[in-house]
Amino acid sequence: MKHLISLQYFKIFLVSCLGFFCLSATTHASEVTISHYFSDEFGKENMGKVFDRFEAVTGFQMKESPVGHEDFKTDILVRGASDSLPDVFSYWAGARVQFVVDSGDLSPIDDMWADSGLDDVVAKAVADSATLYNGHRYLIPMQYHYSGMFYNKKVMADAGVTDMPTDWEGFMALCEKLKGMGIAPIALGSKFRWPAQFWFDYLILNTAGPEVRAAVMDGSAAYDSDEVMAAVGIWMDMVNNGYFVANANADTWTDASDKVANGEAAMTLMGTWITGYWNGNGLTPGEDYDFFPFPTINPDAPVSVVGPIDGLVISANVQNKEGAEAFLSFFVSDVDNQIEWTNAVGAVSANVNVDPSVYNDLIQRVITTVDGASNFAFNYDLATPPPVAEVGLSMFQELMENPDDYGAILSRAQDSAQSAFSE
Amino acid sequence: MEKSNWVWRVVFLAAPVAVFSLLVLWPLCSSFFYSFTNWNGFNPNYKFVGFDNYAKIITDRLFLNAIINTFIWMVSAILLPTLLGFGFALLIDSNVPGGKIFKSIFYLPICLSAVVVGQIWTWIYQPDWGLLNTLINFFLNESMNFAWLAKPDTSLGSVIVAWSWQQTGLSMVIYLAGLTSIPEELLEVCEIEGTSTWQKIRMVLVPLLTPATVVVIALSVINSLKGFDILYIMTGGGPFHSSDTLAMHMYNESFKKYLMGYGSAISVVLFLLALVIIRIYFRELKRIDEIYG
Amino acid sequence: MADRAVFIQTPREFNPWPVVIFIALLVLATLFLAPTIGVLLSSIKTTKEISEGGLWNFPTHLFLGNFAEVLGNPAVHRYFLNTLLVTAPATIASIALGVLGGYVFSKLPFWGSNLLFLVIISGMFFPPQVILIPLFQFFNYLGLIDTLWPIIFIHTALGIPICTLLMRNFFATVPNTLREAAILEGANEFQILTRVALPLSLPALAVLATLQFTWIWNDFLWPLIFTQSDEKRTIMVGIVNLKGQYSVAWGVQGALSLIASLPTLVVFLFFQRYFIKGMTMGAVKG
Repeated sequence: MKHLISLQYFKIFLVSCLGFFCLSATTHASEVTISHYFSDEFGKENMGKVFDRFEAVTGFQMKESPVGHEDFKTDILVRGASDSLPDVFSYWAGARVQFVVDSGDLSPIDDMWADSGLDDVVAKAVADSATLYNGHRYLIPMQYHYSGMFYNKKVMADAGVTDMPTDWEGFMALCEKLKGMGIAPIALGSKFRWPAQFWFDYLILNTAGPEVRAAVMDGSAAYDSDEVMAAVGIWMDMVNNGYFVANANADTWTDASDKVANGEAAMTLMGTWITGYWNGNGLTPGEDYDFFPFPTINPDAPVSVVGPIDGLVISANVQNKEGAEAFLSFFVSDVDNQIEWTNAVGAVSANVNVDPSVYNDLIQRVITTVDGASNFAFNYDLATPPPVAEVGLSMFQELMENPDDYGAILSRAQDSAQSAFSE
Repeated sequence: MEKSNWVWRVVFLAAPVAVFSLLVLWPLCSSFFYSFTNWNGFNPNYKFVGFDNYAKIITDRLFLNAIINTFIWMVSAILLPTLLGFGFALLIDSNVPGGKIFKSIFYLPICLSAVVVGQIWTWIYQPDWGLLNTLINFFLNESMNFAWLAKPDTSLGSVIVAWSWQQTGLSMVIYLAGLTSIPEELLEVCEIEGTSTWQKIRMVLVPLLTPATVVVIALSVINSLKGFDILYIMTGGGPFHSSDTLAMHMYNESFKKYLMGYGSAISVVLFLLALVIIRIYFRELKRIDEIYG
Repeated sequence: MADRAVFIQTPREFNPWPVVIFIALLVLATLFLAPTIGVLLSSIKTTKEISEGGLWNFPTHLFLGNFAEVLGNPAVHRYFLNTLLVTAPATIASIALGVLGGYVFSKLPFWGSNLLFLVIISGMFFPPQVILIPLFQFFNYLGLIDTLWPIIFIHTALGIPICTLLMRNFFATVPNTLREAAILEGANEFQILTRVALPLSLPALAVLATLQFTWIWNDFLWPLIFTQSDEKRTIMVGIVNLKGQYSVAWGVQGALSLIASLPTLVVFLFFQRYFIKGMTMGAVKG
């Protein structure tokens, strides 16, 4: 039913017309097709190195199709709708993979997982949260990112701050102090919405705790419930106090990062990929910039960290299953590959055999922070189903624009989210 | 005679109609089909839901918002480039030195890709160091940091300005071509009679340029729908849907929320609206034909 | 251009209008050029410079690394070739089909031809995403994904409405007496089309060639979805893909898009002299 009626006739007609023009290459037996969203020069180059290493070890050939990440989502959807997904593709662990699994478009990798002994390779916290869907393994983690408060060291030193706050009072005092010095305490670039989600995530996790947050993400708790209202209220007070840069909705995440790097703002809540961006612009980790974990608000709430996990999955219409499984297994288990790849993209390996000492000091402290947390949560747009995430992401922008109306904004979002959950 | 005409009709129309039906009409029909399902794009096991998707449109607050924005977008994306293009054409046609250079400068934007045009205009509207605020602050001696693209009241208008900048050259070129075709003698008569410039434009040039206007409007209408790219890059329909058009709304529902069925219903409505617009266009065209034909 | 001083009031007195018009045009041109200069500025700066100091100041030194990177990249050469391989045939094919359709609708109308015309014109009005999935399924079924063929076919099909509309309107201005005279001399419709109507329609063909070439050249949706390997990608996909999930490449993007805009500019400069004659023809009737 997926292909509309009478395709047959058109095919006969057109193929006979085009027969000898047809350039379509036949797939090689040892070839594995892969789509990924590491499409920029740098990402493509590093992916290419992964392929070289893999091909040298196994003899399979990787045939890649890089697509910029916004268009990547469309590309995967269109190809999924036509049962012509690539053998392997990168995707975001959490609700997005769940969505594709529920649609029956992915192959489980339980056998490969067991044969390759991945239980002893992938960190348990990551394995439990990111690879299991409906009781089966579907994904291997390429790397994980951690979201924390990245700050300009010089700005903080000029403000006379050497010890970064660990609790909320200290954090508020820091913001007030920076504001008094004429520096915007916090940069946020919510033009494309997602950078604002980390505030929503951390505030709920650090006030109401992971269970409430999970309930909001799966629709069993409301956006206008007391817990969410209270968490967003804290955020909105900060906006009203002038702790955020003006016009957050006009900036992209790189604009916000630039403001911190240039000293116009002191810090920004962002993922570890910011280190890749800053290092590329000539900043030195630990010297020009550093990070501290999101401060504690409710001491009773378990310590949570937030971040995305990029994964590799195998499609249900896989042509070269053996090769696809070999690639997934290689990507995550090969220690050298993990070290090179994660260092290149400024992320952390989920492979327990990777010695943290291969990373710079800053990333090593990221690992300590993540290991010390009792809960690793996916950021908002990877934690809740895509139709709902669209509602929430727009809500964040509206909150930044009209902080005083947050009650009404949350109620409206609840209405929209509820109907999105019922789809 | 009539018989041989039929042969030629079939021979001539076979290829265009076949290609168009196969690659445009038929896919549109399948969109019509999906609009009665709850398909999410990925899942082959979709269900028929009757008119549920159409019922949802009526209650969808964002749909109404998108209709209004589409109307604003269409009207201004047609009027602005047309009027500006007409004005530029008049100025250049007055035998000003360097006319050819001016013409190329005004046409240049069309050659640039939407991706880069979107990025550059984002930098023009940038609140702190953007060109627009810098100029305003320089001339008015203020210190404004208004975020044009990030405020719901100005986001759509700001994109329309960027869009008009890109499209004006096209209207200008067509009007310029039209102007060269206006007979000398007519203008000389105007001069002898002592007609004012404004009267000359209104009574002589505008009517005589009707064929050019028909083309300009047609191109603007088609182009205004292609404006999706620049809107997508500059605001993505934001902030919070303030610059959503129907095309953007359809894209969001289908490809971001994975509600293919609902997205298809939106495109069916969009298609019906388009038919109405075309009818109006042709009725006007016919009226113009009767007057000037 | 003939001397037609639209704004000149009386020739003997001092006439301020040309000066005013020139200055007005100069101001407008400067305003109009500003965004383009922005593209130029971005292309001669490093991403680091832009992120530190913004875009709108002149760089202390000229950085040509972006251009060197773009021009020296063999992938870019292939992108250019692919874009040309798509744009040229699709432009020609869509105009050819539009000529055929437009001729019938204007010179050989029949019962229901207006309705058919309306249906075809309505094809201009929907966002292309509407037909994305059915078309992908279709070409996937034919095994043509990751070739340039689907893009050529789709652009041909999507160009039919505008080409038919313009050609129909243009053919309507070709006097019927010419056609009748040709028929009396024993010409058939195909000969009338190619020997009478088309030679008179060069201007319309030039307008369409410029428009279609520019639109198809600058499109990125279809090549993005219908090609997968780097060897089949077009220049616009190259520009789009330069931006990564966690990275920006403004400088290279600016340089690449400046270079990518050259062919469309050349096409315009080449065809524009025919534009003028085109409208002359239209006005004969008007």
